[in-house]
Order: sequence, then structure tokens, then C-alpha cells
Amino acid sequence: MEQKDQLFKQIFETNSRKIFHLCYGYTGDEDSANDLLQETFLKVWQNLDKFRNKSLISTWIYRIAVNTCLTYLRSEKRQAKDELTDNIIENRAEEFSEKNEQIALLYKSISKLEENDRLIITMVLDELPYQEIAEISGISEGNLRVKIHRIKLKLTELYNQHARI
Amino acid sequence: MQEFDQIQSLWQSHSVEVKISPEEMLMQVKKDVTGIRRRSLLNIYGMVLSFAAIAALLIFFQSGPWTTQAGLVIIIVSVAVSTFILYKDYKIIANNDFTAHPNDFLLKLKAYQLNKFTIYTKLYWFYALALSLGSVLFFYETLGNLDLLLQTGIIAFTCFWMVLCATILRRSYIKREKERLDLLIEKFERISNQFKSQQ
Repeated sequence: MEQKDQLFKQIFETNSRKIFHLCYGYTGDEDSANDLLQETFLKVWQNLDKFRNKSLISTWIYRIAVNTCLTYLRSEKRQAKDELTDNIIENRAEEFSEKNEQIALLYKSISKLEENDRLIITMVLDELPYQEIAEISGISEGNLRVKIHRIKLKLTELYNQHARI
Repeated sequence: MQEFDQIQSLWQSHSVEVKISPEEMLMQVKKDVTGIRRRSLLNIYGMVLSFAAIAALLIFFQSGPWTTQAGLVIIIVSVAVSTFILYKDYKIIANNDFTAHPNDFLLKLKAYQLNKFTIYTKLYWFYALALSLGSVLFFYETLGNLDLLLQTGIIAFTCFWMVLCATILRRSYIKREKERLDLLIEKFERISNQFKSQQ
């Protein structure tokens, strides 16, 4: 048990920041991202013995996080997407600056994308290799490249649209 | 007009801070299950304490009339039987490592929930009946020495307490315990389903 605890701590320290950023990008809300991070690592802990080294542990954790995120907003108990977006702006109002405003706009633009696209682009923004994103999202690498190209265009368009308002 | 590369560097410049430490996270993942185990154990400790208190009464009231003795014996036996049932129930979840065998643990958790429900529905009435009978016999002679007002007060309070336990307290306990277990079962099921679909 001690050994498992140590391993878990090490895994958490190495991966938590990226997973948190993924969840933050998906929900646009710090508290929800924190809930998702905790649920993801709860699953990691409970299934650590089942991990068979067939893929990188980070890929395995990303897959858990992606599934957790996708079931999160579908739950009827959760807030709607738009309410979450309002939270970002509200949270950031107190620390207003041009850069924070740009970041809030970025999260708002991400929140306008489809659920799956939001997760993919978050991984792209974090510079995960395409091969790993393909494995995490279960899409072939060829299809993924096309999809990423389309999402990049859409996000850039949304961001510029919001920036003009 | 921003290009995607600029958007990406903006994203990367936004440093996020994970507010939970690995130690806290570890405590968090273990908390739910240990919480249910702890509550179950506390329940048993409470019953053991009651058993000890009634046993002490039985020792000190050895010279009392047979009705008092019989009342205490009935109460102590019903407490002992209930404690044993609660202990058996606790054993279901106590000896299973949920991290090593989550699916087995899920089955045990469901069995535990069902047992808990049976204890607080069907078996509860036998327990309440035995306690009532024991109390009536215990008070039969003991109350005779007290004045009428005090007698009425003790009987009224005992009746009130038993009715309160059997209705409001029992129902709210069942509801709360069911919600807690449902939540935990749902969590374990969600985790198991996710891993089934990934394998």
C-alpha cells in the first residue's frame, strides 16, 4: 500500500497540472476543473493496478480525464455551458488587465466549440504529439489532422470575433 | 487579428495552479470508503457501550425483583444480537481492498446497502419490540417507588423517545445512509463502466 501511495503521489505531481489545464479549458471554471481533476485522479488511484504499460501513463490519464470531462457536463446536475462562461468573466473581473481579458476571451471562445473539439484543441494548445492525441481521443491520426485544422480555424475565428465586440 | 500561434502562446502564458497537494488528493480518494467504514464501526462502538452500561445495571440490580432482572436481560440480549448483526454487516466492507478489486468491492457495497436497509426496516421492529418489552418489565417495579408525576414523566419520555427513534430519526438515518451509499455505488459503477469500455 505504501508503495502504491508513493507511486500515486509521483504520478499526481507529474501530471496534475496538465490535466487541470485540460479540465479548465473544457469547463472554463476553476472550481469545476478542480472537481474534474479530483474525479480523474480518483479513477487513476482505483485503477492503478489495472494499468498494463500498453501506452504511456500520461496517455492513459488523459483518456480518463477526457472521459470524465465528457460525462461531466452531460450530467443534468451540472451547470450549462453559458453559465460557466459567465463564471470565467466574473472570476477574472477583479484582476482586470488586458492580458486577463484576452485569456478570458480565449476561454470563452473555447467554450463555444463542440465538447470533443474543446478537448482536442486543449491538448493541441498544450503541444501534445498528434499521435498521443489520436490515441487519447480514439480517432485515426489522418482524421485527427483534418479535424485539428478545422478546429484551429474555428477557434481563431471565434476569438477574433469576440475580440472585435 | 490574431493567428493561431498567438492564441497558443496566450494559452501557454496562462499558468494554472493546482490547489490540491498529492497528500490531500490521496486523503480525498480514500475518504469516501473509510468514512462509511468508520460510521459503521462507530455504530458498533455505541452498541458495545450500551451493552456495557446495561450489563453494569444488571450487576448492580441483582437484588431487585424478577421483573427488573427480566427487563434488563431482554434489553441486554436484544442489544447483543443487534451488535452482532451490525458487526456481521461491517465485516462485509471491512475486509475488502477497494483499490485492488474495485468490482468486488462494488458488489460488497451493494450487499452492505441491502443488509443495512433490512436492519433498519424489518429487523428494527423486533429490536424496538424487545426494547419496549424490556423497558416495561424494568420499570414495572422500579417506578412503583416514585411519585405519580415522576412516573408519568418517565413513561411519557420513554414513549416519546421510542416513537421519535422509530419514525423521524430512523427515516432520516435510512435516507441519509442510502444517499451516501448510492453516491459511492454510482461513483464505483461509473469508474468500472469506463474501464470496461476502454478494455
